[in-house]
Amino acid sequence: MPGVVIKGLTKRYGKVAAVERLDLQVKPGELVSLLGPSGCGKTTTLRLVAGFLKPEAGEIWVGDRCLSSPATVVPPERRQMAMIFQSYALWPHMTVAGNVVYGLRFKKGMTKAERERRVKDILGVVQLGGFESRYPGELSGGQQQRVAVARALVVEPEILLLDEPLSNLDANLREEMRFEIRRLHEAFGITTLYVTHDQGEAMVISDRIAVLHKGRVVQVGTAEELFQQPRTRFVAEFIGRTNLVDGVAVEPGVMARGTLRLRVASFGLKSGARVTVSIRPHEIELVLDHQARALAGGGENLLRGMVQRVSYLGDAVDYQVQVEGSDVILRVAAPPLLRFQPGEAVSLAVAPAACVPLTEGDT
Amino acid sequence: MNHEAPVARTLPSRLEGIDRSLPVWVMAALALALLILLPLGWLAYVSVSSESGATLAHYGRVFTDPHLQKALWNTVVLAFWVGLASLAIGAPMAWLSARTDLPGKRVIRGLMMASFVTPPFLGAFAWVMLAGPNAGVLNKLYRALTGAEDPLVNIFSMPGLIFVVALYTFPYVFIMIANTLELIASDLEEAASILGAGRLQVALTVTLPMVAPAILSGFILAVLQALALFGSPAILALPAGFHTITTQIWALFHYPPKVEMAAAFSIPLLLATALLLLLQKRLLGRRGYASVGGKGGQRRRIPLGVWRYPALLGCLAVLACSIFLPYGILAKAAFSRAWAQPMTWENFTLGNFWFTFFQYSSTQSAILNTIELGIMTACVGAGLAALLAYIANRKLILGHQLLTFLALAPVVIPGVVLAVGLFVAYTRPPLLLYGTLWILFVAYVTKEMPVGYSQSDATFRGIHPELEEAGRILGAGRLRILKEITAPLARSGIIATWCFIFIGVIRELSASIILFTPGTKVISVVIFDLKEEGQFGAIAVLGLFMLAMTFAIVVLMQTVLGRDFLGAKE
Repeated sequence: MPGVVIKGLTKRYGKVAAVERLDLQVKPGELVSLLGPSGCGKTTTLRLVAGFLKPEAGEIWVGDRCLSSPATVVPPERRQMAMIFQSYALWPHMTVAGNVVYGLRFKKGMTKAERERRVKDILGVVQLGGFESRYPGELSGGQQQRVAVARALVVEPEILLLDEPLSNLDANLREEMRFEIRRLHEAFGITTLYVTHDQGEAMVISDRIAVLHKGRVVQVGTAEELFQQPRTRFVAEFIGRTNLVDGVAVEPGVMARGTLRLRVASFGLKSGARVTVSIRPHEIELVLDHQARALAGGGENLLRGMVQRVSYLGDAVDYQVQVEGSDVILRVAAPPLLRFQPGEAVSLAVAPAACVPLTEGDT
Repeated sequence: MNHEAPVARTLPSRLEGIDRSLPVWVMAALALALLILLPLGWLAYVSVSSESGATLAHYGRVFTDPHLQKALWNTVVLAFWVGLASLAIGAPMAWLSARTDLPGKRVIRGLMMASFVTPPFLGAFAWVMLAGPNAGVLNKLYRALTGAEDPLVNIFSMPGLIFVVALYTFPYVFIMIANTLELIASDLEEAASILGAGRLQVALTVTLPMVAPAILSGFILAVLQALALFGSPAILALPAGFHTITTQIWALFHYPPKVEMAAAFSIPLLLATALLLLLQKRLLGRRGYASVGGKGGQRRRIPLGVWRYPALLGCLAVLACSIFLPYGILAKAAFSRAWAQPMTWENFTLGNFWFTFFQYSSTQSAILNTIELGIMTACVGAGLAALLAYIANRKLILGHQLLTFLALAPVVIPGVVLAVGLFVAYTRPPLLLYGTLWILFVAYVTKEMPVGYSQSDATFRGIHPELEEAGRILGAGRLRILKEITAPLARSGIIATWCFIFIGVIRELSASIILFTPGTKVISVVIFDLKEEGQFGAIAVLGLFMLAMTFAIVVLMQTVLGRDFLGAKE
């Protein structure tokens, strides 16, 4: 079982670089998502890995084979990969069985009986037993999706590529298929690259997520790492909601903005350096005055503010709070137990560990 | 996971990267380049060459010769008025058919399609029988009714020629405008009404500006048709004693052939068409169609009220001139001893059929030649066009944009001009094709390439590239994908292309008339010969035979593919 190594990959369309000096490693058997907004180069990267595009610079290695470089591109059909497409790309003129068996026809020395057995098995795995002689046009969206999955898995590829495979499904089915794809990955253990713009999807499905921005990988990590330790403003904003506070470091572990002082989750700041801090809305606690007095002197950052807007969301209440003596407005996601009204003065408590300084600038 | 030993380890990696299908694409591209550039290159070369080196003398003679000047002017007059007349007929009919509750729309659309596929030279023949100054049926009727001496109309005249050409050109305008009108959602007009615009204001400020590009480009299309036409002017203008450019080029080929002059005379026609087409492209490109698109949007029918039946009558009157009357007189001529005499039992005969098919020496071989050429051209042309459109759509080789340009280029080459180029190119080594069917084959493939290409292009646009990529990543090479995935999906589109090309070939006259030799006549050329001999009965028989073949293909296409010849899906 080989992994994938991408080194310095660059692809330009005219003068615009869709992918620029992109590096990424996928370990054998790992599922890595390429996550980013449209136009970030994630689909281009996937198509480069598949061999549909030729890079201007860089290399793509699978195991000990260099499959793509500016000099040579091994054509897709000789890459031992499989791909699931956004449109599913089921051939409308072939039956379900015809679609699924297609890739097996290129496996030398496989008997017809063996091929039929494998098709039957894999259709069982995706819960489509008995659908062999149907045509794709006669299936629902979810069933078509499963045929596409079966067609890709049946060839036992070295690498599996998925290009936003769930984006054409309705919301409920999409949720269900996330778990289904994760289950299949755990069952088959195929090295997988998964392209999506949906962070929730990436978090459920992936072992690790590579966040792409302007053709580069800006951060790679598990869902938890990305959420709790974002390194750039882009990652902090793209994965979940957050408050960003710009300021200047005044001590190795403290940043300042006007009269506002925040103890942060780092002691590596250089005095005088500009710094942006990310604070997740649910990490901020709204507290009553007597609680605030009790907290004072502990490690927490304690701020005073005025509630500006309140939105009830059912499982949480979304507040916008203007911080006293500052232009900063923080969004706070609080449990609906304690309710504050617009115009009310409140105290806010934030643990220094929840104030994450973003250490890298965005390009 | 047990794979066989990966190919990579047994083959040098450089070999691994080579796309084995590349030679196929390159060959197709080269074939196209040869097809287009060879005749045009020779045409340009011959027009400026003489025994003593390069010269502009041929051009000098072309533009100073008063006869040729007159032909040039006649063509301009003809083309302009045909454009205007086509617009005057086609635009209102398009509006009626697309936006109102006109009764019998399906029938009108069907008849429109019939005039679209009717070879214009057959229409011209029919109108000779209908409105010739002496024996013309309409004129005789007029004289009998009024007792007048003079004929009502003389078809052998410039107005007569304009009238007949416009009858078979206005469907181009109709299609252009009707298709645009169909795309404009009623909301756009209603948005104007709700803001206070009256009906007329809506029409003038919203509808008309949106259709304007279609109207103008329909006009240009009609002008282009009239410019390139050979048959109708040959039939109607020559007896009236005047030439157009196309008939003049043809005349220059008469003994002794003045090929250089013909070439020099062809170039201005070529440039004029190219320019007009460019203009049309810019008109369509600037604004309009994309924004006209839009999804959904109801198209509400405008009630005509008391005008419903008068409007229908008007449409039928036009179609009577292009279909009912001509087809009627052709049928009458085919079945009577003397076509100008009343249709009585004594006048009835099947002799024309006997004469045409069994006694007239060149008919049988011409029919065989036509069918043979039709099938060959349709197969090779549809195949080549499909390959080229595929290459361009999937960007398979460098310079694929050039390929599109070349494939569409013959649109600007009038048949007569193309024929002159081919004549020059293939009457000398290494390719001595003149005198064989091959030169006609080459001419037809070239002439039909734009139609074939645009059809195929639309077909491949409709096939999502992911369908092919899905097969490739599973291990199938490009050629295998082409055969197993793309071809089956493109099947109906390719069959339609085949039909379009076949119909185009069997009616072709303007290139054939220059390239044929006694052994390589086709039906249209025989019809033209019969005209010289005054054999109207036989012309009618062959004309009907040709129409029957055409409509057989149209009906076949409609039933097999379930689509309208004019592009509408049922």
